[in-house]
Amino acid sequence: MVRCTLKSLTSESLVKKLCTAALAIAAVAVSSQAISQNAGGTLVMIAQPEPPSLAPYLSTSGPIGLVAPKIYNGLLDYDLDLNPVPELAESWEVSDDGLTVTFNLQEGVTWHDGEPFSSADVQFTIMEVLKKFHPRGPNSFREVSSIDTPDALTAIFNLERPAPYMMRALSAYESPIVPKHLLEGKDVREAELSGNPVGTGPFKFVEWKKGQYIRLDKNENYWKEGLPLLDRIVARIIPDASTRTAAMESGEVHYGAFGAIPNIDVIRLRELDDIGVTTDGYAMINPMALIEFDTTQPPFDSKAMRQAISMSVDRQFLIDNIWFGYGKPATSAMTSNYEPLGLYTPTANYPASPDVAAANALLDEAGIKPDADGVRATAVIDLIPYGEDWRRLGEYMKQAMAEIGVKLELRYEDVPTWLKRVYADYDFSLNVNYFYQLPDPVIGVQRHYGTDQIRQGTPFVNSTRYSNPKVDELLAAGAVEADADKRGEIYAELQNILAEDLPVVNLFEMEFLTVYNEKLKDHTPSAMGAYGSFDRAWLDN
Amino acid sequence: MSQAAQRSRYVLKRLLQAIPVVVAIVVVNFFLLQLAEGDAVDVLAGEAGSATPEYMAQLRQKFGLDQPLIVQLGVYMKNMLTFDLGYSFRHDMPVAQLVLDRLMPTLLLMVSTITLAVGFGIVLGLIAASNLNNWKDNVISVFALVSYATPLFWVGLMMIVVFSLKLRWFPTSGMENVAMFYEGWDRIKDIAHHLVMPTLTLSLFYLALYTRLMRASMLEQASMDYVTTARAKGLTERRIVFVHILRNALLPVVTMAGVQVGSLIGGSVIVESVFAWPGLGMLAFEALFSRDLNLLLGIFLLSALLVVAINLVVDLLYSFLDPRIEVG
Repeated sequence: MVRCTLKSLTSESLVKKLCTAALAIAAVAVSSQAISQNAGGTLVMIAQPEPPSLAPYLSTSGPIGLVAPKIYNGLLDYDLDLNPVPELAESWEVSDDGLTVTFNLQEGVTWHDGEPFSSADVQFTIMEVLKKFHPRGPNSFREVSSIDTPDALTAIFNLERPAPYMMRALSAYESPIVPKHLLEGKDVREAELSGNPVGTGPFKFVEWKKGQYIRLDKNENYWKEGLPLLDRIVARIIPDASTRTAAMESGEVHYGAFGAIPNIDVIRLRELDDIGVTTDGYAMINPMALIEFDTTQPPFDSKAMRQAISMSVDRQFLIDNIWFGYGKPATSAMTSNYEPLGLYTPTANYPASPDVAAANALLDEAGIKPDADGVRATAVIDLIPYGEDWRRLGEYMKQAMAEIGVKLELRYEDVPTWLKRVYADYDFSLNVNYFYQLPDPVIGVQRHYGTDQIRQGTPFVNSTRYSNPKVDELLAAGAVEADADKRGEIYAELQNILAEDLPVVNLFEMEFLTVYNEKLKDHTPSAMGAYGSFDRAWLDN
Repeated sequence: MSQAAQRSRYVLKRLLQAIPVVVAIVVVNFFLLQLAEGDAVDVLAGEAGSATPEYMAQLRQKFGLDQPLIVQLGVYMKNMLTFDLGYSFRHDMPVAQLVLDRLMPTLLLMVSTITLAVGFGIVLGLIAASNLNNWKDNVISVFALVSYATPLFWVGLMMIVVFSLKLRWFPTSGMENVAMFYEGWDRIKDIAHHLVMPTLTLSLFYLALYTRLMRASMLEQASMDYVTTARAKGLTERRIVFVHILRNALLPVVTMAGVQVGSLIGGSVIVESVFAWPGLGMLAFEALFSRDLNLLLGIFLLSALLVVAINLVVDLLYSFLDPRIEVG
């Protein structure tokens, strides 16, 4: 039996072709099986905070990702093992040299306004929209030099160099296909489409009552036979976390993802018969809690200092006591969820349990001596202002780091102040944060370490100003290496260097929670989870 | 001059006086808001996940945030003259539309709260004052004290636990049932159903205030000379309380209500947040955190106008309640 993994898709071509065919058959089987479920009903989900727009082609903001993939399709979707499955592309083929990717598109797809969908839309979306305006698009599609459209159902991507990561960036969330006829000749950022989305997806946008809800109704002409099953999806905006919990408990809402229900309430709700909790559906997101250091200034310009901190943090304690058991200690600069791709290597300086004695010895050896009060260094620790959990983490850090003689003061500001401090003014010494590592290091990890990612004023890039030519070289090589094994070796070397230098200390792989009413079935059929289309979701009455 | 003509001249004068007040409010708020670190572009870029410096510069240019402050203020004032409140950075739509969308729910909550709080406050205060120091007075006073001292968010959450989760009488939150999307008469009933708990929560606090105020005011008036005179004339106690004391005792309550309507617009943030009620308070709160200055200024302007208008109404009410007070 040929195992169809992402790794196999990027390696030998025979396996790849077999896989493509097998996956296409599997997808047909899945869609015909779904018809036996009950259709109808309104799914009420939580969207929190309110999305800034409904333009997934301009912003990767989380709440947009909850709503937009119900309206737009991507070329591909990904099953729970991260294998690509057909979406707008019914099949695809990567040439042996990795420089040409051919997508054969689904027949009979129309936009919600009735216009036919064609390869021209794909060409326009990638070249004119995502590559130019999407926050991560320029990175995902940087090797795409042109797209040929020999006929309405074929799109051929011509690449400068192989781009193995691109095949993992084609979901409706990451790279939604948008209508050419509504954007062409307009200012993409200003176009009306952002507040009134028109896609090819299972649900049509109906109305957005600001501060209340976004309503999507079933697309009766959806190109997947018999789908979607739900009549309607309503995304409700409920600002208060306790009220969200109460609304879930009372059955007024059926679905809340990305920590919409705080962990402290989840441990109570999960005991109820009609409420379910899952950590599935975040494998393409890979959130990582971490500490960024200002590597240009004392005290954290010292490598020993950063290593000592990584060695003395009790990662399991944070997970157990602050996140109620949801999470996994970090063991490298990269998430262990990259393991199926062969890109994950556990590294040094990430001990399973804290080693305070070794950390102190390391600091003594480096000549960072404690003063009369046992203090080696003082610093202000900034905390990501996304909720109480992060404050608790700050309190833990203050206490734990005192043991290695690092005296910390906590600072918790509002989002704009914090963003400006860390990414525009570089006015911080160490900052607790979390980053999405996403399905591939090129998309999610590179931005944190590359010298070219020191972009003052741009949020969520290299704020540590760490710059290492060797790292840059490896990042560049890893991005274009088509051979999976060689790629794994490149990233193994990279992870070892980063474990030694530690411009960023990863704390733990976060597990976001999805809380749902048991009446709701098949809500997480793909790795996209809450960022999925929900076309097969149904309500059991 | 007839009384009606005098009244309308008075209203006109007051409205003219309001113009510099409103302008001053806008200017002061404008500069106050500049004190906050970071701007809307930082927030938008942060939310989007990542953005290029060029894009951020372009956004600042689009929003006019690259201009000197004084120019920004000038542009804003100029637009205001044409009743153009500008564009909300975050919501990507005209401020006027956003604010007007939220005005109805806000007024609904505000009017029902004030009605309930003032109405019951007057009745309870009256009962307490008429039964001074007996059990009715004590029960009412303790009730007022407890509800005044209880934090609003806690009352709201307890309401949800008891009436939504346990008894299942009321929905937890929102303004209407989004699974049903009722229309016509059913929709009105549905909204009223959703309005009950936020109104009760919010009015509990104000109810306590008006009860205590009314009670004190009644007691104060009851010791006045005119009450003694009325009693000497042989009027019934009933007539003395309802015709003489009550009318005079209402004046401070009306004043208080006028002042508080203003604070109710913004002061209901907590209740709006707990019950996910789509009001102006919540909008202002979010606008602050996303540094959406145009939107905030729009809300401030609307609140200022509302307060000015309500104060005018209150002053006019005085002259009806107490004909000795003349407008002019």
